[in-house]
Amino acid sequence: MKKRFDISSLMRSKLTWAVVAEALILLVCLIVRPDFFKISYQPSTGMLYGNLIDIVNRSSEITIIAMGMTMVIALGGTDLSVGALVAVAGAIALKFMRWDVTVYNTPGDYTVYPFVLAIVVPLLVCIAMGLFNGLLIAKGGMQPIIATLILMVCGRGIAQIVTNGKQFTTGYSPFRVIGQGSMFFLPTPIVITVIVIVCVSLFVRKTAFGTFVEAVGVNRSAARLSGINAQMVIFIVFALTGFLSGISGLIYSSRIMSNDSNNAGLNYEMDAILAVVIGGTSMTGGKFSLAGTVLGSIIIRTIVTLVYYFGIASEATMAFKAVIIAVVIVLQSEPVREAFAKRTRARSQLAGGGAVK
Amino acid sequence: MPDKTLLEMKQIEIQFPGVKALDKVDFNLRAGEIHSLLGENGAGKSTLIKCLTGVNHMDAGVILLDGKEIRPQSPQHAIDLGISTVYQEVNLCPNLTVAENIFVGRQPMKRGQIDWKTINARAVELMARFHQDIDVTRPLSFYSTAVQQMVAIARAVDIQAKILILDEPTSSLDDNEVKLLFDVMNDLKAEGLGIIFITHFLDQVYAVSDRMTILRNGHLVGTFGVQELSRVDLVTLMVGKDMDTIFNLKRADVKADAPYMLTATHIGAPGQVDDISISLRKGELMGFAGLLGSGRTETAEMLFGAKHATSGTIEIEGKKTDIRNPYDALMLGMAFCPEDRKRDGIIGDLSIRENIALAVQARRGFLKPLSKAEQNELADKYIKALGIATPDAEKKIGELSGGNQQKVILARWMATQPKVLILDEPTRGIDIGAKAEIQRLMLEMCGDGVSVIFISSELDEIIRCSNKVIVMRDREKVAELDGETCSQSQILTIIAEGAAAAGGEAQ
Amino acid sequence: MMKTKGRSLTSRLTNPKYIMVYATVGIFLIIYLFGALAYGDKGFTTLRTFMNMFIDNAYYGISAVGMTMVLITGGIDLSVGAVASLTGMFIAYGTSVLGLHPLVCIAFSLVVGVGLGLLMGWVIHYLNVPPFITTLTGMFLARGVCSLISRESIEIKHPMMDALAGWKIYFMKLQDGEWVRIRPSAFINFNVIVFVVMIIIGTVILQKTRFGRNIYAIGGNEQSAKLMGLPVGRTKVLVYGFNGLCSVLAGVTYALYVKSGWNLSLQGAELDVITCAVIGGTLLTGGVGYMIGTLFGVLLKSIIPALITFNGNLLSWWGKIATGLLLLLFICIQKIVVNATGRKKEKKPAVKN
Repeated sequence: MKKRFDISSLMRSKLTWAVVAEALILLVCLIVRPDFFKISYQPSTGMLYGNLIDIVNRSSEITIIAMGMTMVIALGGTDLSVGALVAVAGAIALKFMRWDVTVYNTPGDYTVYPFVLAIVVPLLVCIAMGLFNGLLIAKGGMQPIIATLILMVCGRGIAQIVTNGKQFTTGYSPFRVIGQGSMFFLPTPIVITVIVIVCVSLFVRKTAFGTFVEAVGVNRSAARLSGINAQMVIFIVFALTGFLSGISGLIYSSRIMSNDSNNAGLNYEMDAILAVVIGGTSMTGGKFSLAGTVLGSIIIRTIVTLVYYFGIASEATMAFKAVIIAVVIVLQSEPVREAFAKRTRARSQLAGGGAVK
Repeated sequence: MPDKTLLEMKQIEIQFPGVKALDKVDFNLRAGEIHSLLGENGAGKSTLIKCLTGVNHMDAGVILLDGKEIRPQSPQHAIDLGISTVYQEVNLCPNLTVAENIFVGRQPMKRGQIDWKTINARAVELMARFHQDIDVTRPLSFYSTAVQQMVAIARAVDIQAKILILDEPTSSLDDNEVKLLFDVMNDLKAEGLGIIFITHFLDQVYAVSDRMTILRNGHLVGTFGVQELSRVDLVTLMVGKDMDTIFNLKRADVKADAPYMLTATHIGAPGQVDDISISLRKGELMGFAGLLGSGRTETAEMLFGAKHATSGTIEIEGKKTDIRNPYDALMLGMAFCPEDRKRDGIIGDLSIRENIALAVQARRGFLKPLSKAEQNELADKYIKALGIATPDAEKKIGELSGGNQQKVILARWMATQPKVLILDEPTRGIDIGAKAEIQRLMLEMCGDGVSVIFISSELDEIIRCSNKVIVMRDREKVAELDGETCSQSQILTIIAEGAAAAGGEAQ
Repeated sequence: MMKTKGRSLTSRLTNPKYIMVYATVGIFLIIYLFGALAYGDKGFTTLRTFMNMFIDNAYYGISAVGMTMVLITGGIDLSVGAVASLTGMFIAYGTSVLGLHPLVCIAFSLVVGVGLGLLMGWVIHYLNVPPFITTLTGMFLARGVCSLISRESIEIKHPMMDALAGWKIYFMKLQDGEWVRIRPSAFINFNVIVFVVMIIIGTVILQKTRFGRNIYAIGGNEQSAKLMGLPVGRTKVLVYGFNGLCSVLAGVTYALYVKSGWNLSLQGAELDVITCAVIGGTLLTGGVGYMIGTLFGVLLKSIIPALITFNGNLLSWWGKIATGLLLLLFICIQKIVVNATGRKKEKKPAVKN
């Protein structure tokens, strides 16, 4: 009896459906490509290769941003500016490392300014932009979606001003490591992502910060009257999201060894929000699940990979992504989950009743 | 005419998962009568009403309207049948104009277009009938709750209703507004409408209704004429116990030389309150009486730092302090249960455990988290101590009844072991049993040396518990009375006419 | 009664609900005045410049009509750019590759666009999925289908489309007893007419029909709207359907404007459209917004690129930053207005004994 009841509450959990969805998609991948799960080791690069590794690697940028986005959404808001911040971070980093045609002939292994600046300054600027969002929301009392719309609209303009509208390239190898190198047999982005996940999870769950975020997200006024500094919580969350967008921007620009103010981080805000929602965090705020978000991000990437296998052009993957996401979201929607839970409950009650007789 | 039965509900049963919310309940309403529906929270009043308005669906039973069987499927269906409802929280659209709120969804049309002229003209007429001379083309949010309530009633009445349900319409109205509402109700009654009136205020029941029906735990206790039943009998029937055993309380015992815990001198802020001075001894219970909006809540919020006091000083245990926000107050050993439990108190989606641990955690800062075991210990302790009715500490607070929610909020603050506890309307909207328990808890805490400030609109509970009574009027403190000797009529006179008129014993 | 009538005109004009519209119009006039003073000698004040603001932004404006309604219900629609792009793709592929008549393509686009809108509305209301997520999925879908059709830009070549795109009404003046075009010549084209007609239709729907008023009621308080017996579900579904219609019309006018279909056209247009509505005084929280405001929002947004062009020294990305700042300004004004007028009066007293 007890166990049956658990099934019904499982059916109601959004995370369950996310796991089921991922499993199904992977299963289809396996049917299409029997060697899908194969992972091989390449001694020359010291890296592991395989589809699964590739999926996790390619989902890094979104996963990292989505960690911050999870808390933004738990606060009951959304941060639309993350994609623009990715572009800003890349622009600043390349500004510091740019290969200048008047000095050198080829994009070789050198940097114009110290490498530290190319890493630290973009991250600081992104934190500052996150704080700007936080300022409008916490002090100005604006809705997050509107406040972050401002930076979303003008962020790419800022990125273009930084580089004066130019596209720089670099060949500096330490920078290449961030997006294309390897550590512990894994692509560096995966390692960075794991570090981010661990740090954020520790920060959120090993301190009371997560509870504070949830409290402010559900009822800001009550949280404040309980002695929680709600403004501080909002500042920290948006600054953190800005910082994570910056990391993501560095990874992105290291992958292309260039800056791209128009396309870097394009639609990242959408993908990140989607990852959070698929992961089971409600857009109305409150309880959140970081594990769910990671899963959500991987689901999105797995879908894209799967679609490649059917030999469909990369731009068209969006259509299939849309269909699968639609299915996941409909399955996760409240009425549908309730209906499933009710059916299971009814069945278990029937069975239970039978046993008593 | 008065004896014509308008509505009959027979043997109504409603089953919720795990509970029988209504069990074979009968109810009938005559045309041209005001019929009060009474019972504690959870007695089944709102479930019965929701049956009529098509929100809940009956598992068994029959509803007859004018002798014909009906089965309301949705609020719209109920309205079409002639059953209109006005809820406690004004259910209108704040962005629409007053006129539009009355007519939206059934606007008069002229040549395929909405006829704004007629709408506005008819709205003016209607509001005049409710003695409201207002600009009906302004957005609703422009007006006070009382006016909004009148607009809601105007809408409900104008749709050719046969039955008007008023679900606690008076909880945010002042005396004059209540009187006005009663006049309107009597007018409507004279026109032959059947009115179902739900309220927690027994005086209002006796002031306006013809008959009353009492529910308890989903069962019908009975239907009586107002003259048939005394107040004491009524309460006894509602609660199932008699009043003396419920309110067997003893005032806190404060020694004359007990040290002052909290002293506020001349605090105030523009537009909030003027020049309030109070001093509170250790273990003392200070009652705040006065009308809603008289500055009681503002004073409490200022003491706790939720609002900023621009002038005056606050001393805690004789030390001058600078309280700028609730966190500062919390660190100084103060606690505050706000007036609007839903808006400012509970964190609905979090568990009882998390809600109880919140203030303690806030005081420690987020970098020093309470372990799960410590949280559970706190939660279990207070669930037991306060008798919070819940299967376990992991239940969401939003799913509890009002009284239990209030106890959780109280537990949140008791867990911080405060020196000064401020309670703003802690007993509003909860049933008599829970009320008595909260009052008892308050007094117990006084016994343990906590100083309590108790704000309430119900004078009898102020007088029953307080050592000292502060009377507020028009954002000023007008009197400070001794709790043992003051009387209700004395306080009422001061509220109505000021301290001088009442023989002024303001100290 | 008399009293009410007496104060009706001033009272109507000073009604706090119009403040945002005044702000939009006012700021537009200030910027226009600035442009006139700074670049008047270069021809900023000519009718041609003014009309070009309409011509170059008609498709945004048409989409903004539907978006305003969606925003008033408290929702959001991110799919508009993709649906418009898809429409252009249908027309281009249909006429140039399949050899269909453009009207057939437009009809087909209407079915798809409105159908998708209705479907999204249904999912939002009945499955309780947040509008942001639902319409984001809709955007992915429309974009993906675009790319499935073609990844190349396809030129639109059809006599009817050419005729529509080239059709112009010139502004004339009477000179020496003869009607001649004013100099520099200014005209309105088909797109501008569609834009203006849609603004009028939008105004009529919002102000003169029950459906329109229900939209406001839902945005004000959806729960209340339900309890007042308004058809909340039907209204929301239809609003998203209508927005689908606007997206398709925007796509048609955009196709006329650029005479081609491309799978990546109008990327990010949804944000420009939302921005137009917001600087036109529509609240993203729902319940407030006017078509006339949206009209000026579109003009306000298009005057910035115009100013940058006239300046000649500024690079185009300053446009983005200026739009962002404008948005910031408007949100601040909204905040102040809401604080000043929307605040509920202090609760009235109650005492019981």
